[in-house]
Amino acid sequence: MTDKLKVLKHLLPELEKFPVPVKDNFNKAIVEMPDALSDEQTSDWLKRGIAIAGQTVRSWEAAAHFFQVSPNVISSMPYSYFVRWMECGASLCEESPTLAAAYFEASPATMSKLRSRHIESWAGLGDGLYKGTWKSSTLACRFFAESSTLLESLSFQQLENFANFLDALSHRSYDLSSECLTLGEQIFPLVGDDKDAFLSLATTLVDTGWREVKSFFEAGAKALPKIHPEERMRFLKLAESLVNNGGTNIPGTMLDISQSLSLLEEDNHHIVLGFAEALLDEEPLAMPEFIKSAPIILEKLTILQLGRWYQEGVNTLSQNRDGGLAFFKIESSHSEAVIETLSSGIEFDRIKPVMEMYCRALAGAEIKLSPTDALVEKNIGWVSNESPTTEGSTVFVPTLVDRYGTKEENYAWFKVVSTHQVAHLEFGSFIFEFERESGLFENLRLDLEARRIKALRENQNNEPVVGDDIADSDSPGNELNESHTGLERAWLTDMQRFFDLFEDRKLALDIFTVVEDGRLDARVKNEYPGIKSSYNQVQSDSHENRPDIKELPAREAMVEFMVRLSLQQYEGVVAPSKYNKEASQVAQIARRVLVSDATVEDTAEATLRIYAIISAVPNEEIPPDDWNDMDFDDEDDEDYVDPEDMENLLQQIGMGMEMELRPEGEEEYESIQEVEYRGDFKPELAQLMTELRMQQQDEMGQSQGEPLTQEQLQELLENSAELDLQATEGEIQESSGMFADNIMKEAGANMPQSPDDSQGPFVHVDEEGGELEPAEPETFVYDEWDFRAEDYKPRWCVVRQKMMQEGDTAYFGATLNEYSTLVTRIRRQFEMMVPEMFRKERKLIDGEDIDIDDVIENMVDIKTGSSPDEKFYWRRNKVQRDVAVAFLLDTSASTAEAIDEGKNKQDDWDAPDDPVEYMVWLRTRRGEQMRRSYKRIIDMEKESMVLLINALEAIGDTYGIYGFSGYGRENVEFYTIKDLHENFSDKVKRRIDRIAPLHATRMGPAIRHAAYKLDKTDARTKILFLISDGRPQDRGYSREGVEKEYAVHDTKKALDEAKRQGINSFCLTVDKNGHDYLKTMCSDMGYEILDDINDLPERLLVLYRRLTM
Amino acid sequence: MTTKSLYKSFIIEEYQLEEEPYYVPIGDEVELFEAAYKQKLPLIFKGPTGCGKTRFVEYMSYKLGAELTKVLKNEADDSAVNLPLVTIACHEDLTGSDLVGRYLLEGDQTVWLDGPLTRAVKAGGICYLDEVVEARKDTTVLIHPLTDHRRILPIEKRGELLQAADGFLLILSYNPGYQSALKDLKHSTRQRFVSIEFDYPPIDLEAQIVEHEAGVDKDTAYQLAKLGAKVRNLKEHGLGEGASTRLLIYAGQLMAQGIAPRRACQVSVNWAITDDHSLQQSITEIISSIFE
Repeated sequence: MTDKLKVLKHLLPELEKFPVPVKDNFNKAIVEMPDALSDEQTSDWLKRGIAIAGQTVRSWEAAAHFFQVSPNVISSMPYSYFVRWMECGASLCEESPTLAAAYFEASPATMSKLRSRHIESWAGLGDGLYKGTWKSSTLACRFFAESSTLLESLSFQQLENFANFLDALSHRSYDLSSECLTLGEQIFPLVGDDKDAFLSLATTLVDTGWREVKSFFEAGAKALPKIHPEERMRFLKLAESLVNNGGTNIPGTMLDISQSLSLLEEDNHHIVLGFAEALLDEEPLAMPEFIKSAPIILEKLTILQLGRWYQEGVNTLSQNRDGGLAFFKIESSHSEAVIETLSSGIEFDRIKPVMEMYCRALAGAEIKLSPTDALVEKNIGWVSNESPTTEGSTVFVPTLVDRYGTKEENYAWFKVVSTHQVAHLEFGSFIFEFERESGLFENLRLDLEARRIKALRENQNNEPVVGDDIADSDSPGNELNESHTGLERAWLTDMQRFFDLFEDRKLALDIFTVVEDGRLDARVKNEYPGIKSSYNQVQSDSHENRPDIKELPAREAMVEFMVRLSLQQYEGVVAPSKYNKEASQVAQIARRVLVSDATVEDTAEATLRIYAIISAVPNEEIPPDDWNDMDFDDEDDEDYVDPEDMENLLQQIGMGMEMELRPEGEEEYESIQEVEYRGDFKPELAQLMTELRMQQQDEMGQSQGEPLTQEQLQELLENSAELDLQATEGEIQESSGMFADNIMKEAGANMPQSPDDSQGPFVHVDEEGGELEPAEPETFVYDEWDFRAEDYKPRWCVVRQKMMQEGDTAYFGATLNEYSTLVTRIRRQFEMMVPEMFRKERKLIDGEDIDIDDVIENMVDIKTGSSPDEKFYWRRNKVQRDVAVAFLLDTSASTAEAIDEGKNKQDDWDAPDDPVEYMVWLRTRRGEQMRRSYKRIIDMEKESMVLLINALEAIGDTYGIYGFSGYGRENVEFYTIKDLHENFSDKVKRRIDRIAPLHATRMGPAIRHAAYKLDKTDARTKILFLISDGRPQDRGYSREGVEKEYAVHDTKKALDEAKRQGINSFCLTVDKNGHDYLKTMCSDMGYEILDDINDLPERLLVLYRRLTM
Repeated sequence: MTTKSLYKSFIIEEYQLEEEPYYVPIGDEVELFEAAYKQKLPLIFKGPTGCGKTRFVEYMSYKLGAELTKVLKNEADDSAVNLPLVTIACHEDLTGSDLVGRYLLEGDQTVWLDGPLTRAVKAGGICYLDEVVEARKDTTVLIHPLTDHRRILPIEKRGELLQAADGFLLILSYNPGYQSALKDLKHSTRQRFVSIEFDYPPIDLEAQIVEHEAGVDKDTAYQLAKLGAKVRNLKEHGLGEGASTRLLIYAGQLMAQGIAPRRACQVSVNWAITDDHSLQQSITEIISSIFE
């Protein structure tokens, strides 16, 4: 050590010239420098250090670093490379001491990952990034600093590429470049083997859209982990070619795509990406849409079927680019149709209309069909999203059935499920009456009830603690008191009264469910032989999903045993050996209700008996060997006979009361798993709902009857075994309260809506997205025509039909007054059109045919010698008025525009002569002027309507007046001012008063809805009269937000559709520039553009007369 | 008559029924009819199409005729006198002369030909005007004098006033369901009649009827009746009229000829009652549930 110092002695003073750290670092380093270095080498090293330090004022820092890291660096490379390293450092220092310092500082960490031969290149990379500016220096320094981390995941080659990328990006923005550097650290480990692709994509992106680079990096970091590691490269390639093909918002797209891919099974990534790659050749922009749609489609189709759908999409694409795009977005009917054809699943939406009718026919009642999630949302006690069920008026079925490989099987399953639920209604599960006799069993219910009440009374009297006769129900710990009040309280439903008989409601409910379901299944198969085979199939398929009976404790096993039996498994039914006798008793009772005249009361009696048997079975584990198979004949001749000793039976049922006597080791009874196709049976709740509904109806009919209170309801819910309420006391209160609330609401759901709701604030919803559903009453969904794709966007617009609010009748009268001269004239003209009944005109000189009577008369005249009458032809009278007309008023915001010239002067000479009338007139005029001194387009529309109504009432045509407006496709408002079949009344007058400008003009759906209304009307001539003030327009009523033609074409399509339904349309517009689009919109229909809006009322009537003559 | 008659004048005997028509009474319509007949009160039958109105008239005319014959036989008269039944299907071009009669030319002569109503009035039979609202209003006025105590039919052309014979009874049928409001019966007309309401028979009776008429076995007949009941539940849901007993019998007849049940129901029930595709599908589902 000292030797070395000696050699360097003459150089040491040089070091003194620099700040202390240089010498300090040197001193530390020299000690650590390897001994193997020759003196020459050592002194060369020192000289270089000094040279670096001496280069510029600030370069001593670099030198300090140089000394500091040297021992470390030299240990990882041969001396020759060390020299190169030093040379690089020196030359960097010439450029910038800071840069060199960073270089030295980063070296030890980097060198361990860098091959020695790359040292110069590495230094060069940093150098390359340095452009002599402060920002570039920061970037280059950071590059050096991050190199070692980057090299953990990048090869040197890739690092070079990355540096080049950074360089390229830095031409645009240093900050961005620097941020990407940081992000690079996070992302490269994720990219896997495809860093080259990633980098080349990044580099491409710099040229095409450098602003997106950062989000590309960020997106990449999020997107890539979602993709199967082996497929990441392809994913990036896809993204790259998308960039090359002019795609925009690449990072967003990447995120979307990766999100979609993450929804797929990883095995499918390969296939989907394969299609995507192929799609690039056809239409790059369709590719992301395809991937985005893939998860949706794969819910319905297998991966093979996806291929066929894809192929069809490509075909569409080759014919029509926009059509193809819409296809891949699943925004075209064609696309949906293809999915539907390929899919083996049954979608609720598709078959709802058919199945709903089917259910209605079977039940003979106004049954609705809804998906199960709708019921869960209501939050009235049903919680399962999967299980089909019914609450008395609606049958709830799964949204999608995809259990089997073929459509037919799935459909059969769906049908069986629906039929079973309807059977609850058809065969009266919910019309249970506690006191109605059972036909098959002796009636024990009343006896038992009396007995229980008595027993509880006695029990209570024996209990010293409770002083009062009336139990204090607030003390939660006292179970007996609770049930006592339970028995004596007024029951709300018979079903509840029945279940109150049992100590273990859960068990009773389970038994009841199985017996009742068994009864219904048997009944359905008996009544509907056609469905029997699918029914049997479904039943036997249900076996597979049952739990292993041998793992259940005895009591549960007994219930499970019943389930198996009810699923028509008669041979080899497993039961615990030691309860074989009980099992066969149960089987006997249960099978008794399988006859077609069994009623729900029979089920109840059977439940009592089975409960007596099963509740006596302790719920204990049975060793695996203590089970045996039981066989039953298909036809059981042995009839169940109640035991001689009825007393005993009743006692047995009562047994449950002595729950405290449970033997050791017994488990709490848990409900058994429901049978899937039978779903969720809640007799108590369903009966409750039914009764509440009836009550609601009664209330409207002003009938008497104590309405149900919230407390009563809550009590029922808390006691019911059908709700899975939280165990703790407070939460039971809370959740049952919530259920009770919801149930009340649900039962009263049909209350009329307040008209004030009609013009609620509109909510902005994004135009993107898929189909819409008519969720509320009075909403209708219509397709929309996409003229580019040449296909309908299915279920695209929601029309909300509302009643116009009511204002004042005065407006109507005032308007008639204002136009009094016109009114009389028009009315006279219209009265001349009064419909004449179909009439055969006889005694004409010419006509359709001769009238045989007249001819004979003629002949008889000739015979008798008098001069004959030659008029013996007849003809049908052509005028036969049978007209229904719907007026569609545009109430968009633009109708608020004022009409240029004031009309005030002209009005003045309408002033009445009579002084009293004059005062009234004056007051109205003033009021009017205070409100508004000018007239708006909408005012003219309103006035026209007043005159129109006046005229139409004279001729008795069927007519409806509707206003439409809206905001976005999910809010097309359709206001009824007068419905087609509504009689004219003061209400109509009041509604007219309230017509006001609203939002936008989405004509298509409004026309479709009006056409739909007309279509339901029976008339020979149907007319749709559209009165508007401009072109159709709405948010999102366009393609890519710009093409006005989209709206025009949709409107045209809607008018065409109406025409096909036999409806004549006529458009009357006040837009003077209307010719350009009206020509397209109403190509072969009548339209007229009013030059002067003031002519509207009169012109409208003239047109109407002409149209309907 | 020397000249060969070009127009065959139907003799009233041709309207007489030879065999007893099959009819299963649903309510008290037989008693009502008999009482009304004895009191010479005209009747209106209301009810949906194919529920057995026409069959009931036939049945009653035979039944009453048979009783009449018995009475006459007791008086040692050999000729069996059945009660003639004249059925007129009304349409919108039906004129007064179509009912009453008209002059026809035969060679160089004019010949008066009685209309069906006139024939029934003369012979004292039952005149059944089917779907009377379809007829023109002036024809319905024509029957007014026949329906009150006067029981006369003025024959304008011949200047005659025809007094209705004893056995004469006027019956209208009318289906309130499907006509438009325009085609309702005038009150002055309606209030001259006793109304008997008809509906489809209850399921058991309908099964019995189908079994007899179609010649199918009991089970099939019952299933058909059930189909009828279920489909009728869909009335007001796009079905103007439910599946009539007549259609069910058609279906049964096809089955009796060996057509597969589902197919038979499809063609005779489903497609007959609606053109609405989705409704057809729903009915197909019902059929496939009921029939194997």
